[in-house]
Amino acid sequence: MEELLANSPVTEPVLLILLSLAERPRHGYAILQDTQEITAGRVRLSTGTLYGALTRLLDDGWIERYESEDQSRGKQSYRLTAAGRRNLQAEVSRLKQLARVAGLRVARKET
Amino acid sequence: MLRLYRSLLFLYPHSYRCVYAGEMLSVLAEVDLEASRGNRWARIAWRAREVGGLLSGAFTEHARQLTGFYRTPVLFPRRSRMRSEFRFPKATGILMTLILVAVIMAIEKAKAISASLPPTSTPVGPIQPEHLSTVTSFLVILALALSAAAIGWLVVYALRRSGLQRLSDVRPGAAAGGNKPAA
Repeated sequence: MEELLANSPVTEPVLLILLSLAERPRHGYAILQDTQEITAGRVRLSTGTLYGALTRLLDDGWIERYESEDQSRGKQSYRLTAAGRRNLQAEVSRLKQLARVAGLRVARKET
Repeated sequence: MLRLYRSLLFLYPHSYRCVYAGEMLSVLAEVDLEASRGNRWARIAWRAREVGGLLSGAFTEHARQLTGFYRTPVLFPRRSRMRSEFRFPKATGILMTLILVAVIMAIEKAKAISASLPPTSTPVGPIQPEHLSTVTSFLVILALALSAAAIGWLVVYALRRSGLQRLSDVRPGAAAGGNKPAA
């Protein structure tokens, strides 16, 4: 069961968090704002969802804590690890392939 | 509002709270500040989402500590996930309701017929085979067989509507991309 869950594609919130951290290290609130910006306001993560995902990503070694200037104000920043970036690239490739097939099929259906 | 968020954070496991509570509260304070700039309904929706997120997060963390692994399907909204589990089709629900209504109506009708009959001193025993002619027996058996066939066909139709037969087309490992660790 655990293996099955581990091999499943990442969920949308997790993907958005990874994409947000792919650019640069960010703290919790900055991640929330960035995910909202990436999706043009379509997705607005709650704090509970964000920290559930961050905890899991930390446990899996996809992200790590990052020392930043904001930390003194109770803000902890996070950044992608090498493994996290690799996995994000794999996920993006998977989505690209899926989008390519979807595009072809939709175009074929329309003609 | 922050007081409510703080009390909801107490629903999280102690170990989790020790690490993340301060940080989460700081984020919640910023989120609440942002929410307060919106109109009344936006504020309510925003805060309701935060409360829901905290409740769901607390439940998930307790579940994780109990079971030892993350239950992703419960954790997040599944906008980009495909579900392969069996979903009960609406047609089957309607069909089963109709069958139930028919059975109840038949029972009620039988009760009404029984009540309308004059009382007899000798109890009516089971129907003996000699009371039925060959033609009647044949018709009864035919009606039963047709009913069974109709019910069977309806069940198969309902299952086909659910997409269950498509499971036989699934080839394990056929999906592109391969396996990889995931969050």
